Amino acid sequence: MKTVLTGASLFALTMLAAATPALAGKSDDTLNIAFTKELENIDGYFNSAREGVIMQRTVWDSLLYRDPETGEYKGNLATDWKWVDDVTLDFTLRQGVKFHNGADFTADDVVYTVNWVADPSHGVKTQRNVNWMKSAEKLGPYKVRLHLKAPFPAAFEYLSGPVPIYPHKYYAEVGPSGMGQHPVGTGPYKVVSVDPGKHFVLEKFDGYFKDSPKGQPKIGHLDIRTIPDVNTQAAELFSGGLDWIWQVPADQAESLKALDQFTVANESTMRIGYLDMDAAGQTGKDNPMTKLKVRQAINYAIDREALVKVMLKGKSKVVNAACFPSQFGCTDDVTKYPYDPAKAKELLAEAGYPDGFSVDFYAYRDREYAEAIMGYLNAVGINTNFKFLQYSALRELRMSQGVPMSFQTWGSYSINDVSAITSEFFKLGSLDSAHDEQVKEWLDTADSSIDPEKRKEYYKKALQRIADEAYWAPLFSYNSNYVFTRDLEFTPTTDAIPRFFQMSWK
Amino acid sequence: MAKTIETVEAALSGPTPGQVLRGRIFGHRGLMLGGIVLLVIFVVAILAPLIAPHDPYAQNIMARMQPPVWHDRGTWDHPLGTDHLGRDYLSRLLYGARISLLIGGFAALISGLIGTFMGVAAGYFGGKIDNIVTFVINVRLAMPVVLVALAIVAVFGGSLEVVILVLGFLLWDRFAVVMRSSTQQLRSMEYVNAARAIGCSTRRIIFSEIMPNILNNLIVVVTLEMAHAILLEAALSFLGLGVQPPTPSWGLMVSEGKKMLLFEPWLITIPGIALFVLVLAINLMGDGLRDVSAPENRN
Amino acid sequence: MVFTLKRLGLALLVALAVSMLSFTLLHLSGDPASAIAGEGATDVDIAAIRAYYGFDRPLIVQYADWLFKALRGDFGESYYFQLPVAQLIGDRLSITMTLGVCGISFALLTAVPLGVAAAVRPNSLIDRVALFISVMGQAMPSFWFGLVLVVIFSIKFQLLPPSGTKSWENFIMPTVVLGYYAMPAIMRLTRAGMLDVLSADYVRTARAKGAGEMRVMFKHALRNAIIPVVSLSAVQMGFMLGGSIVVESIFALHGAGYLAWESIGRNDLPTVQALILIFSLFYIVFTFLSDLLNAWLDPRMRVG
Repeated sequence: MKTVLTGASLFALTMLAAATPALAGKSDDTLNIAFTKELENIDGYFNSAREGVIMQRTVWDSLLYRDPETGEYKGNLATDWKWVDDVTLDFTLRQGVKFHNGADFTADDVVYTVNWVADPSHGVKTQRNVNWMKSAEKLGPYKVRLHLKAPFPAAFEYLSGPVPIYPHKYYAEVGPSGMGQHPVGTGPYKVVSVDPGKHFVLEKFDGYFKDSPKGQPKIGHLDIRTIPDVNTQAAELFSGGLDWIWQVPADQAESLKALDQFTVANESTMRIGYLDMDAAGQTGKDNPMTKLKVRQAINYAIDREALVKVMLKGKSKVVNAACFPSQFGCTDDVTKYPYDPAKAKELLAEAGYPDGFSVDFYAYRDREYAEAIMGYLNAVGINTNFKFLQYSALRELRMSQGVPMSFQTWGSYSINDVSAITSEFFKLGSLDSAHDEQVKEWLDTADSSIDPEKRKEYYKKALQRIADEAYWAPLFSYNSNYVFTRDLEFTPTTDAIPRFFQMSWK
Repeated sequence: MAKTIETVEAALSGPTPGQVLRGRIFGHRGLMLGGIVLLVIFVVAILAPLIAPHDPYAQNIMARMQPPVWHDRGTWDHPLGTDHLGRDYLSRLLYGARISLLIGGFAALISGLIGTFMGVAAGYFGGKIDNIVTFVINVRLAMPVVLVALAIVAVFGGSLEVVILVLGFLLWDRFAVVMRSSTQQLRSMEYVNAARAIGCSTRRIIFSEIMPNILNNLIVVVTLEMAHAILLEAALSFLGLGVQPPTPSWGLMVSEGKKMLLFEPWLITIPGIALFVLVLAINLMGDGLRDVSAPENRN
Repeated sequence: MVFTLKRLGLALLVALAVSMLSFTLLHLSGDPASAIAGEGATDVDIAAIRAYYGFDRPLIVQYADWLFKALRGDFGESYYFQLPVAQLIGDRLSITMTLGVCGISFALLTAVPLGVAAAVRPNSLIDRVALFISVMGQAMPSFWFGLVLVVIFSIKFQLLPPSGTKSWENFIMPTVVLGYYAMPAIMRLTRAGMLDVLSADYVRTARAKGAGEMRVMFKHALRNAIIPVVSLSAVQMGFMLGGSIVVESIFALHGAGYLAWESIGRNDLPTVQALILIFSLFYIVFTFLSDLLNAWLDPRMRVG
């Protein structure tokens, strides 16, 4: 038995070492890419996946572009823009831009796109991306006025991201499903073939406008396949069938790095992990989570440093506030709860649970992190009854009857603003387990003000109160691992949106 | 006259039916091997708390994925290494035997009860009842098991109870088919007719005349379905919809180790071999029992 | 004729029962609206979706609605892809069917010769080898077998592509894994059938008449022994199509099984519902055909 096992593991290791990547994509100027998840519709208004965001940046352009290095907003399809008042924005559009189907880009395209997506009856999947816009108005062939429903300080962030501009004639003709099957945009790559959910082939768009802030595409073709199993992805990488994979789990990335055959890059992302606790007593008025000391105990019980160091690895960081540190309005100046199991037990005893208690603990992703958290909770006497559900099922449950405690994560759609996370969860919505009127009031003030200093001040108040009350147990930020052929030049960004148009062969 | 006595004597001094059966059992290598291995696994499962070197739930994430002792980096503290949370792999393997046996046993019990009830009813009463049961069996067979099991577990969330119930309610078809045909064969037997003629109640006929005589077939199906249930649980866990952590299920261990397959293959080799050995033992026993109970049908 | 009609009617009833059962089971999860809305949707999004799809109607009404549309070949629109389910399944089904046909062929081509060889020389080396192969096949988890093949043939020797459906080479490993799953049962049945037939009177007669061994084997014995194997293969084929989920997910074959698994995760009920129905229809059609075949081969069975 022993020899068999030794043999097996030696076998696998030597095999990996012996395997040499064959047939890399550089020779035929094609970057072979794997997606883990099936993308439902390439039309970015009708998917909510990270893969969709990537495709949207690759095939389409938005009015603005945020430079991932500097955070500065640059003109993309617009060349100039200014606030007329709190709810009105004027744009001057770029001239000479062409869509992939040959149509010219004009004000009509912006007006049509905005008015179409802002209409809730058209069912844009992620309403929060578009529902702040009221309408668009044509002021001239290359001049557009955008009307907002209410003051919306994060407007630039959205306009540089999830609001791509579509060709008005074509979109009116084919609609979302037609756009999904034969996408047409102005972006650096045009789509050659779509096999929904399975396979996308993209080609460099030779007519891409020269002074785009995105730069010019360099690699000839992008061949994107959906491969669900990470092992299969790695196997393809070894056999040369793939050149670039991402979202590689930390342990595998580390092992791949040790083999020294590929480039392994790591970058932090905006996603944070946290424990959500039923402080408002949705699951029962006297449930343990309603007690401040219990929530504090849970915060003290978890060794977040250790989790980051040995499980998440890479550029992940411990998070103390209910937001991602780089987001506008986020602050680290809040009450901190270092790892202290003795104190946790003490607090539990003071709260009336000297022998701990049992609780249902829910999660929907990253089972191993949830398991490790459970281990820490068990160690201070909190017995967890683990339930792993689909995201949708867990959400449904939280909305209808609430859950006492769950491991949640939130990526803020890469929106670099606290309104995309703290305001999302602490304004008495159906996913707000705190139900704190005071927090909501401060967040409302911050969300609707366009004075940056005032926004910061009120976000800070809200975040401090959230930490004092220990409504959440913020845990860590995520990171993403990219593994790719050494022929490729690529630097990941913190927004976790790989930009294929900036990649090149070495 | 003397000759007759000799014959009778010979007949009396020959092996009793019990001796014949015992002889067959001990003479059957597959059955013996399967039986011994299964017995060992069973004893290990029961004694797990006594022989496990560590608490199977105690995590230490600073010591995660330590390799087994035969590796350069392995230590005797964790003879089979540790898993992705630093839990002792040997202890989890030992406790995992309980889960696999529990799942196999209870799933086979539930499906056995359902299937036997339906099969015997159909076989004994025939007519309309038989038509209905045959129809239900057909409906069940037409449902893609893996797909339906996945869908149900997705709805109810995976837990030991849910997995056992789902498997129990899905795997009764073979019981029903086999019990139905066995009962049909027995129904027309003379002793059953005789029992009916002397006015025995239906219940009595079924429980004291029919059941004992289809028991050997039943046991064979039980072994098959136990093995089937254990493998199916592993497949569900592999697809992420089986029992939930921190339960030390072998299927779950395979699924948790799966992502490191290319780098730390022992994480899935060890529970994989455990599963293989258990299923193999059960199958060998099933085959053996079939051979022994009905040598004339040996195939 | 009456027999055929009766069987056909029964088959349709089975299909109806399966669809009703699966519809009820799938809708036990409650309201699929939040699943459709996806991660990060607001309450408003979800309410709009609920009204749009009519999830507020009673279940029986939703089922009737689905059934009447399904009878016309309209399985609705996938919640996830926003495409007609029929279109979505159409191109994926061909992959699963290719896989199923290859798998069953592989199983038959290995199992039948092995079974015959084992029956001709019971307890010989070949019999033991055959038994060993079948016992291994029954006890080996197919996901493990698939992953081992990938490590050996794709990574070590780089002979076969680990995933995808580009060429016939992509189908070799999945075929072997899926076929091996069906093989043991077919082999055992072939062996048992051959043993039975070889001891039957007509084969003895043929032998006694001095017919050559080959002729006895193939003309007389195998032809009769193969009858139950044909119907078992039909059943196995039905099972395999439903059971190819694991294989498709390992080898990233974007077939119907993989679609089913993903759709379950996404709560894409129309797709799951249609796939369950289609997989069960496969089973129903195959067993129906094998019933007819058996009845044709063996007139005594037409009574049932």
